[in-house]
Amino acid sequence: MPQLDFHTQILLDEYHQLLPVLNRLNEIVSQTLEKMIQDSGIVVTAVATRLKTEHSLTGKLQLKGSKYHSIYDITDLLGGRFITFYTDDVDRLAAMAERVFTIDWDNSVDKRRLHQLDSFGYNSLHYICQVPKTLFEDPQMPELNKIKFELQIRTTLQHAWASINHDTGYKSDIEIPREYMRQMNRLAGMLELADDEFSRIRTELNDYRRRVQQLVQNGKLDDVLLDGETFKSYLQASPLDNFNRRIAAINQAEIQEVPLMVYLPILKTLGCNTLGDVEKLIRQNEDDAYRLARHQLGTTDIDIISSAIGLQDICIVEIMKKGGGKFGLKWLYDSLNGEGTQNEMLADMTLKQIENLPFMNQK
Amino acid sequence: MTTIKQEGNQYVAYFEGRLDTAAAVTTAEDVKPLYDVTNSEIVLDCSKLDYISSSGLRIFLSIRKEAALKNNKVIVRHISDDIRQVFVMTGFVSLFEIQ
Repeated sequence: MPQLDFHTQILLDEYHQLLPVLNRLNEIVSQTLEKMIQDSGIVVTAVATRLKTEHSLTGKLQLKGSKYHSIYDITDLLGGRFITFYTDDVDRLAAMAERVFTIDWDNSVDKRRLHQLDSFGYNSLHYICQVPKTLFEDPQMPELNKIKFELQIRTTLQHAWASINHDTGYKSDIEIPREYMRQMNRLAGMLELADDEFSRIRTELNDYRRRVQQLVQNGKLDDVLLDGETFKSYLQASPLDNFNRRIAAINQAEIQEVPLMVYLPILKTLGCNTLGDVEKLIRQNEDDAYRLARHQLGTTDIDIISSAIGLQDICIVEIMKKGGGKFGLKWLYDSLNGEGTQNEMLADMTLKQIENLPFMNQK
Repeated sequence: MTTIKQEGNQYVAYFEGRLDTAAAVTTAEDVKPLYDVTNSEIVLDCSKLDYISSSGLRIFLSIRKEAALKNNKVIVRHISDDIRQVFVMTGFVSLFEIQ
């Protein structure tokens, strides 16, 4: 390492003296960023802080040390970073950061808004921040509120682009060929488009969910196609609770909640195309399914059942009524329990158990 | 009587005899070491289990619940047809991976 000049040495001495405060600042910023994520409910791919090392600071000061009069002029001794999935979340976190920290607007940059109309490139939001006394104050460490730090908020795609661009030559001594820059900028444009599309899709999906929930609440189930989202909304309305309680009453059993999404492909195969079809399937078969449950559970002392029992027995009844027989039952057990020869034996046992129930003679 | 053995990356609980109300108190104590397991596979071996009651099912459910919190996978293996029938009758058949 070359000999450090006097000015650089002074700044490095200040850095060493400030290190305990910087470490405390790091803790406070880190905790604050984590809390922002918790409070907002935003899902991020990363939230992190890092303190500039002496080695990195020395390199920086050797390049442009004369720019800084004191250690407080350096704004990236501490860096914080959020990496989000969606561009909308960058804006939401930025708004939160503006409320939590003091922002140095003269030195903060939203590179997303800096580009010319015909250019693409590194997109990121950088805020230069300070911890206000309302957030943290320690009379033993008044310097803490003076130190500026950098907060970077970007999407996963922006982060990928920036990281790869950095890795392949940004800031190196060799001039980057124009063609390479053009190719990287083409990619930046494509990723920006992809970011916007992801946000748009999320917004549309949320609108769709709200519409479906409204239709379910209004009982217009025939208008709702059966898919993962709609079935989930339907189940949130607890359409099987009363029926499960009726079954539980056979043995005064407790009901354990279990996931029911596994029934989605089964219901589709049974011919349900809309939530209305599911509702009809349930209502048309629930009395027979109740007889089946009573027949199976009534002679036992089992006093615990799962919340899947109602739907499972309704499917068994539907399969039997459609003439699915042993093959149909095995298919159901394969779907619920994973494929296996033991399900054939189970289908045999079930068939034998229920052979005299009234619905077994319907086809 | 329930024995727990570590076999490679798996923690295997061997159940024997009848897992009814009378046996449930002891069994619940026997399986407690499984609640400390993390990031592993827990196997509930039922090859010597003759009968399971509601109390036994509750123990299986507790193991599964704790396992889910600690990123463990639970497999139920070698169950008799009668016990498999209990899992079906109660609707728990889709909750466990049964081999």
